[in-house]
Amino acid sequence: MARNDEPWATTSYGPAARVGVDVGGTFTDFVVLEPGRLTVRKRLSTPHDPAEAVLHGLEGLGVGTDVPIAHGSTVATNALLERRGARVALITTRGFADVLEIGRQARPQLYDLRPTRPPALVPRALRFEVDERMDRHGRPQRALSDEQVAAVVAQVVASEATAAAVCLLFSFANPAHEQALGAALQRVGIDVSLSSDILPEFREFERTSTTVTNAYLRPVVASYLEQLTAVLGSRLWVMQSDGTTVPPDRLAVRPVQAVLSGPAGGIVGALAVARAGGRRNILTLDMGGTSTDVAFCPGALVLETQHEIGGVVLNLPMLAIHTVGAGGGSIARRDVAGGLHVGPASAGASPGPACYGRGGTAPTVTDANLVLGRLHPDWRLGGEVRLDRAAARAAVLSLGDDTPRSERDADAAAVPLANAIIRVVNAHMARALRVISIERGYDPRRCALVAFGGAGPLHAAALAEALDIGEVIVPRYPGVLSAVGTALAEVERSYSRTVMLTVERGAAEQAAVAAALADAYADLERQASSELRAALGPVRLELRRSLDCRYQGQSHELLVTAGRTRRVRAGRGPARKPEDKPGAELQAIQAAVRSFDRLHRRRYGYDQADRAVEIVTIRLRARHLQPGMTLPEAPRDQPGGAPATAGQTVLWDDAQPVTAPIFEREQCGPGTHLVGPALIVQADATTVLPGGWSAEADRYGSLLLRRYA
Amino acid sequence: MTATDTLDITVTHHQLAAIAEEMGAALIRTSYSPNIKERQDLSCAVFDRAGRMVAQAAHIPVHLGAMPLAVQAAREAVADDRWRAGDVVILNDPYLGGTHLPDVTMVSPVFTAANGGRRSRTLIGFVASRAHQADIGGMSPGSMPLARELFQEGLIIPPIKWVRAGRVQEDILALILRNVRTPDERRGDLFAQRAAHRVGERRYIALAEAIGPEALGRRQDALLDYGEQLCRATLRRIPAGTYSAEDVLDDDGVDNEPVPIRVTIGARDGELRVDFTGSADEVHGSVNAVRAVTVSAVSYVVRCLVGADDAAAAAPLPLNAGTMRPVTVITPEGSVVSARWPHAVSAGNVETAQRIVDVVLAALAPALPDVIPASSYGTMNNAIIGGYDPERERSFTYYETIGGGHGGAPQGPGLSGAQAHMTNTLNTPAEALEYAYPLRVQAYRLREGAGGGGRHRGGDGLVREVALDVPATITLLSERRQRGAPGLAGGAAGKPGVNTVRRADGGIERLPGKCERHLAAGDLLVVETPGGGGWGTSSASGEEPVSSG
Repeated sequence: MARNDEPWATTSYGPAARVGVDVGGTFTDFVVLEPGRLTVRKRLSTPHDPAEAVLHGLEGLGVGTDVPIAHGSTVATNALLERRGARVALITTRGFADVLEIGRQARPQLYDLRPTRPPALVPRALRFEVDERMDRHGRPQRALSDEQVAAVVAQVVASEATAAAVCLLFSFANPAHEQALGAALQRVGIDVSLSSDILPEFREFERTSTTVTNAYLRPVVASYLEQLTAVLGSRLWVMQSDGTTVPPDRLAVRPVQAVLSGPAGGIVGALAVARAGGRRNILTLDMGGTSTDVAFCPGALVLETQHEIGGVVLNLPMLAIHTVGAGGGSIARRDVAGGLHVGPASAGASPGPACYGRGGTAPTVTDANLVLGRLHPDWRLGGEVRLDRAAARAAVLSLGDDTPRSERDADAAAVPLANAIIRVVNAHMARALRVISIERGYDPRRCALVAFGGAGPLHAAALAEALDIGEVIVPRYPGVLSAVGTALAEVERSYSRTVMLTVERGAAEQAAVAAALADAYADLERQASSELRAALGPVRLELRRSLDCRYQGQSHELLVTAGRTRRVRAGRGPARKPEDKPGAELQAIQAAVRSFDRLHRRRYGYDQADRAVEIVTIRLRARHLQPGMTLPEAPRDQPGGAPATAGQTVLWDDAQPVTAPIFEREQCGPGTHLVGPALIVQADATTVLPGGWSAEADRYGSLLLRRYA
Repeated sequence: MTATDTLDITVTHHQLAAIAEEMGAALIRTSYSPNIKERQDLSCAVFDRAGRMVAQAAHIPVHLGAMPLAVQAAREAVADDRWRAGDVVILNDPYLGGTHLPDVTMVSPVFTAANGGRRSRTLIGFVASRAHQADIGGMSPGSMPLARELFQEGLIIPPIKWVRAGRVQEDILALILRNVRTPDERRGDLFAQRAAHRVGERRYIALAEAIGPEALGRRQDALLDYGEQLCRATLRRIPAGTYSAEDVLDDDGVDNEPVPIRVTIGARDGELRVDFTGSADEVHGSVNAVRAVTVSAVSYVVRCLVGADDAAAAAPLPLNAGTMRPVTVITPEGSVVSARWPHAVSAGNVETAQRIVDVVLAALAPALPDVIPASSYGTMNNAIIGGYDPERERSFTYYETIGGGHGGAPQGPGLSGAQAHMTNTLNTPAEALEYAYPLRVQAYRLREGAGGGGRHRGGDGLVREVALDVPATITLLSERRQRGAPGLAGGAAGKPGVNTVRRADGGIERLPGKCERHLAAGDLLVVETPGGGGWGTSSASGEEPVSSG
């Protein structure tokens, strides 16, 4: 199964090695990163028990017991999508038990005569209210009595729930009531997630939904991670949805932070590849079998806090990723008026596209690529599956109106249909790529497109043309970029708390706010320092503060950095820095308000420099400072220029077929220069280099495609 | 039209829809009003050179189908040879292309690039945007008062160029800003719409140059034909015949009389004739709908039907000028569904629009018994609370629309506690509300049992209880307070909504559906929204278990 660029037997890894593991639906990918060497392995995934493929694969890698292993998995995502979580009870403030179900009262489908929403993770019978209330300052308006606590604990026990989420109004301003309930529930053996702990931020629905999801996922994720740590111990790091890694014990109690970790690895990897190649603004195209993930990175990862996954709303900082329901296996069909649509229905891995010869007859994007010569029958999963062009052509022809009489007629009829499939799917993706960049105020033409996933490099050049993008980067191993990114991810942890402080424009009023802010940050920093000490030992940390700000009266916040980055050792209280003095805190606030005005002007075209600013939520990111792992360079063992051709393909266009050479990617080391039209094939992906494009391999082995005509 | 013309017509649809979407993204990003930014009460659209809509990105259905009338009004106000590159026409006049006054619409022509002066610029088409701006003046904050004539509702802007060939007309801008309560915000919103137009113009020009203006024109013709074909294919499923239905609005907020809305639909071979003859005359209060609003409501129903016919397609179906070709909407001049100047119209857009949808669906129910749901909660439950906040030392205005129960449907029960049909705006979180205003939310829950019974129950409404910490004025614009949402196919009606004040002294006052009241500190406003109608007869042994997919 494994296909490697270096032979198994001689493998041994130096002390600076790091392993990245990514569990996908079909394959579990392994990469070993070392200075100057990148090793790749693939194994069939074991969906019934994903840890099996991970542990067997790691065993086969033969890495030393001191090599860190970074792991990204879809265990949390799948448990959520398939609704395989715990039986959770929810406890809310009286009057608010239905907030989880009502959500923000919008319906998910706009033009559906019978819109539906997925059932709430906690049904009504398991939602309980307590008669308590905090006001916005965290002052109890109605106290929580011991009788109330005892009564609701009894209700939860009687409900046979094994886990509980506690989400009281304004608990982030004063968590005392939530903590009292949490302690009482824990005493009777219920696994508890408190909203003041999971997401101490205002907006009750989003906080409740996020906390409930955490409670729901804990048993599944914890048992999976226990399985791995039993074997791997403290070498294991796990990927989160914000593109950073944490020790598994942290994720076991906050599994909600892993729900979008699958695509995160790919984006971290894409950004590393682009940076190594000297590119800053990128759009990423991760095209798989059933869907395509696109993201925009202006030189850094972009985090967003509002997400919806499988009908569940989560408000945590996660990478901003947009998913398009079209991939290689997506099925093309005609509607009643003759229009062609591609996806979201997919042939999946089984039966798969018609050309797989496993019983599929519906025309897919992969079939269209094969008909057009963009895939070659001989190169597919390292030659394991031979693709059947006749079957692909028959499937594509089923979209047409007439049955062709001869072979020649068949090609002539199939090619325009196949081209239409590719144009439609590309138009769909181009639309998504445009919107994600425009939303942030960037022009897609100024970005490079990083293409990966099995099908990304097939479509990248054509998409770039549609978007008027001149550069495409195809990483050395496009099929395992997620595993590479996982291995490269930083160790970082985020903290937040809603404070809702109003900053007037006068210095006198600002002093009190500065003191309150300093206290709130001191709390967060103490928490970060002690938690990271417990997890990592007395390591060096970098602390970065930021604030969610808005003008008084607005309901939409902008994120601004606050104060300078500082470095401390985990476990020690934050060293006393000038910012700790009220005077310096005051200056830091004033600087933050000024930078908020500036950012507002840049984003929205105006500011309101005389208006009070509200600091809604404070945020802290604590990064473990360690010698960074970087993308290994590729071996320079080839002469450069164009390698020997490995065959040829006939590329079909609307007009004329063109014969194009096929090159093997493994022969395309640093210094390679190719001119299109050409196909570049490798085990896990095929890159199309159209006419008018050239390709060059950089020292990391990434192919840089440029349009010259 | 041959098969090859339509084969990849969806590519053209994606390209044009992307322009409208990018405009929307730019508008959301740069606007000021929470109504635009968070509730996304806006839409952007692209038109061909003949003023026919070729793509729309609508976030709120009430804008559907009304945008073409705005472009038509702009083109009637500005002669063909008077358009210049960089022009922006603004309008909100409900009788000249608008819907209600807070919806501010802009229209810009798009020309090919100048090409160094050697070639004259040719018109490619138009881009347009509409955004619900938070306040446009008039007798009460939010510009949706219990009015008796249009002049009370706010500043009326007929189609005029506020930007001429790229130059903002400062005198027009000054006039507008002097007439609204929050001039800084309005300024931000107006420039945000203009910024969105610039994005749209750039993209439209790039597309026209990439494939050639003539070829683009042909593709657009084909796209409109395709929209028409799709719609006809759906409408052919409606058996030939005449279908009619009637429902009433509780009252117009001024006279305590029901206001009937009647529709007769003639269906024949893929065409619909939707005739509102027999509906009430225009009224004194503000529930009058202008024709654009009525056409929007009909467009919404047609769009839903086309979607229902092709349920497997998550691929966005085009909504364009072609889609509505097989549909004729007849609205008697001077009726409540086609009011005349200067009748008040603010609630027509929010309340009457909802009722029109229910009536059109009810008429079609016998024709499409496996698709049409029972009536919905049929109102937007508008609640406005305003007063002075001594703690924060400022006046406040809080505006909320509250969801309700959807009608039960042939496929299953109706959704509970959600926005239906012509609106889909978000709620204000209790915690956000209490940070902003001297108000406290005491409860926000489903109103159990509000949905009408039946084989598939109607959805339940909501209960929202808001306590006042200070004296304040409340304005309610709500419907279905006297009669519940009718059931369908034997299902029972949903419960009507109830508006109540619980006084600090223990007294309870039931409020009418549309009213303005001064309340004291400590009073509690309780809005219970209507349930949806039930669908089908309950079996004798009680209701069948139904999966709520």
